[in-house]
Amino acid sequence: MGYQLTQDGLRQVFADWSREYDIYAPKRFEGTGRFSETDVIRYGTVRTPEEVVWDQRSDYSWKEAVLPVCQTLLYFTEETVTEAKDPERGKIVLLRSCDLAAVKRFDYIFLQNGPEDSYYKDRRDKIKFVLMGCDHSFEGCFCVSMGTNRTAGWDAALNRREDGYQAEAADSFLAAALEKAGTPCGDVVPDGVDANDFTVTVPEDLTSAVAQSTIWDEYDKRCFKCGRCTLVCPTCTCWSMQDLYYTENGQAGERRRVQASCMIDGYTDVAGGLKFRQKGGERMRFKVLHKVLDFKKRAGYQMCVGCGRCDAICPEYISFVRCIEKLADGMKEVTENEK
Amino acid sequence: MKNNTYLPFRSEILEVIKHAELEYTFRMAYDRGAEHPVKPGQFFEISIPKYGEAPISVSGITDHSLDFTIRKVGSLTNEIFENYVGGHFFLRGPYGNGFDVNMFKGKEIILVAGGSGLSPIHGVIDYFADHMDECERLTVIVGFKSPHDILFRDDLKRWKQSGMNLIYTVDKADDDPDYDGHVGLVTQYIPEMNLQDPDNAIAVVVGPPMMIKFSIKTLLGLGFDEEKIWVSESRKMCCGVGKCGHCRIGEIYVCQDGPVFKYTQVRSFID
Amino acid sequence: MLDMDCGKLKKNAYRVTKHRGITSSRVRVPGGHLTADVLGKIQEIAETYGNGQVHLTIRQGFEILGIPFEKVPEVNKALQPIIEELDINQEAPGTGYPASGTRNIMACVGNRVCPFGNYDTTALAKRIEKAIFPNDLHVKVALTGCPNDCCKVRMHDFGIIGMTEPQFDPSRCISCGACVKKCKQLSVEALHMDKFRPVRNVEKCIGCGVCAHACPNRAWTRSKTQYFRITLLGRSGKKNPRMGVDFIKWADADSVVKIVSNVYDYARKYIDPEAPGGKEHIGYMVDRTGPEEFLRYILRDVHLPEKAEVYKPLYWNGIRYWGLK
Repeated sequence: MGYQLTQDGLRQVFADWSREYDIYAPKRFEGTGRFSETDVIRYGTVRTPEEVVWDQRSDYSWKEAVLPVCQTLLYFTEETVTEAKDPERGKIVLLRSCDLAAVKRFDYIFLQNGPEDSYYKDRRDKIKFVLMGCDHSFEGCFCVSMGTNRTAGWDAALNRREDGYQAEAADSFLAAALEKAGTPCGDVVPDGVDANDFTVTVPEDLTSAVAQSTIWDEYDKRCFKCGRCTLVCPTCTCWSMQDLYYTENGQAGERRRVQASCMIDGYTDVAGGLKFRQKGGERMRFKVLHKVLDFKKRAGYQMCVGCGRCDAICPEYISFVRCIEKLADGMKEVTENEK
Repeated sequence: MKNNTYLPFRSEILEVIKHAELEYTFRMAYDRGAEHPVKPGQFFEISIPKYGEAPISVSGITDHSLDFTIRKVGSLTNEIFENYVGGHFFLRGPYGNGFDVNMFKGKEIILVAGGSGLSPIHGVIDYFADHMDECERLTVIVGFKSPHDILFRDDLKRWKQSGMNLIYTVDKADDDPDYDGHVGLVTQYIPEMNLQDPDNAIAVVVGPPMMIKFSIKTLLGLGFDEEKIWVSESRKMCCGVGKCGHCRIGEIYVCQDGPVFKYTQVRSFID
Repeated sequence: MLDMDCGKLKKNAYRVTKHRGITSSRVRVPGGHLTADVLGKIQEIAETYGNGQVHLTIRQGFEILGIPFEKVPEVNKALQPIIEELDINQEAPGTGYPASGTRNIMACVGNRVCPFGNYDTTALAKRIEKAIFPNDLHVKVALTGCPNDCCKVRMHDFGIIGMTEPQFDPSRCISCGACVKKCKQLSVEALHMDKFRPVRNVEKCIGCGVCAHACPNRAWTRSKTQYFRITLLGRSGKKNPRMGVDFIKWADADSVVKIVSNVYDYARKYIDPEAPGGKEHIGYMVDRTGPEEFLRYILRDVHLPEKAEVYKPLYWNGIRYWGLK
């Protein structure tokens, strides 16, 4: 059963939801951009529908809901180690179809690849996902190519209309608020795009042999390894462990995990000075092949969800999409070299 | 929280063995062997105050203890290394696949190690040193940088006496007139192993990437069957459980799928 | 028979040129920013009244060349749409630029375009313009978006350098070190890493914003308040050319406007009555009165933010030609 909601109606729904959950949605952070007097759209807690940014893609993704930039795991003293309790309430995460597809990738790593990650699970179990319908593609979106344009599994879905919203909920808690504030209407199908401005094709014959091609070389100079592409990526899950000591003698402190990036220096450094992938091209290759080859080999489906954030954020205008387009040439090159 | 993978347990330091200026073995109490048996080649994440957590291979296993051989790097203080008996570390593990000694039984075994690469196969050598009758023949070739860097001196002596073919060598012995071992890279001594039964042989190579690469090249050059070569890899690891991403190579997670791999698999790894 | 009041001509923003009877019209563009249609109008004036040539001035203006004296009234009328478009303070429409003593307020391209600009330089230039023009006293003001000082503001009486107070959110920091690296490479090494986090040396920091620009995860951002470094009394010229010195660090925009506006009372009081054309470098007056008196005037009714640091004592060095004190 779907519901029609006015702006006031959704405001009431948000108020109801907020009683038990934090509503986590793309939000404008004024003046926090890289350049002065520019804004950043990233996830944060909202209390009203007016705070939710609908008309542009968020620069950063939903992923901080399950993998905070910094997350304390343990506290320790000389004698003891104790778990950091996650004090947070559950979250209602508003996200697009591509990002909902990314949740599956996160679940794969944190719940299936090796033992379950209890910190992840704890947060994940307390999340309800509200799909924000897409009535059009943003610049650089390629969800259709990656098959993430209509993702199932939402707890509620919300379409924005000129005079309000349409909503549908699979989850009873979310539905209760809709019922209270909305007018029943027929079933609501979440808005989704069926075509983007362009399509991206990952070559069918792609193998890791493409690593040997020269297509990566240009990135040695172009990429300065800032890692923005991975930080905004809704499917990048990497993190590093940090031990922080409060006392000089190192007897009390905390252990936390912090988002990490295979594009940033230090990612592979081991004690003793061994490092891998020092060049920008090597790091680009490692990242790109993970997104469209390596993850699939392991999990059975592509990692990249086609949100386009990496292309939008790159300060050097390096396009992931353009790089995918070059893979076919790369394969041709290595196949010919083998002959 | 249930099943917190990252929550370490406390382990007392029973003994600290100094091998070289920078390398020490910590003998740690371990009484979980029944529930969580440990194999050579597996590793633990060890919390060392002021240093953080690091993945360290088990270099010795007894019913009640585990050995970890740690190279002192960077910020580690002498205090931690020298005055730590009676103290404790926090551990979590074991992680990784490790070596199953059964796969070596009845075979002609060749173990090649560089420096602290000896740790992951230390348990294998120990086992066969005590059970020489369970293998056809055992050759161990170990390389160190200099006589000062030699690890497990007491073990080397003991092993020598067990009847195995033990060759240890140093890259350079310039400043040590007392050194009586070989000089040169391990690859120089691989041809001297005098392989008896190629069809029934198995080899393991552990060490820095370059050393692994050239040792295998040498083995293959001698006609060694590539299917019978094993390697133990080491990469940066923050979790040990397939989550942090640092140890990934292609679709492989070293912590989950390794660190012990067949050479035929490692061959295709592109870091 | 040529008869021209050269004083009036000059004050009307025309130049007495080396060519007899030929003048040139100086079109100021406050903040250096204009719509392209102004260029069309300049072209039209140059082709209709001048010799078809235009010189780009060093102070972000246009000098329309080769105008016969008798065309001045017509040129003034033709300048009117430009003056309106550029929002120049004017007393009587159709009379051209009303004064020429206080020079065009220059600005680098600022944050309308430049990634490093810490504020809208043109907007602040226009705000100062509104406060001080028209004026015949010789005052030079220049604005630059960040401490790179592309506008060379230290060569002016008042140099305004954009600053931001870096804001650090540790919960967004991934310890990548980009800020520390960039601060070292491009700025003053005010950051260092301690316990996986950058630590900012507040004394050293010049508020350039490189950290906020470098941060990949929005851990470093800019302050909501825009701050400014004000430098004083840089000058070129024949007597003791010199760079402007630091006056106030972490000033706000209101203080900037007030301080610049205050200089006119001082100049009216202390200008050399014999100064040729009624124009004299402010710095020459300060050489006579000493800086204390000057500062007393320009800080009158200025309410600096708490953060502001006023440098003292002020000392200028610069080039000293042989034999001059």
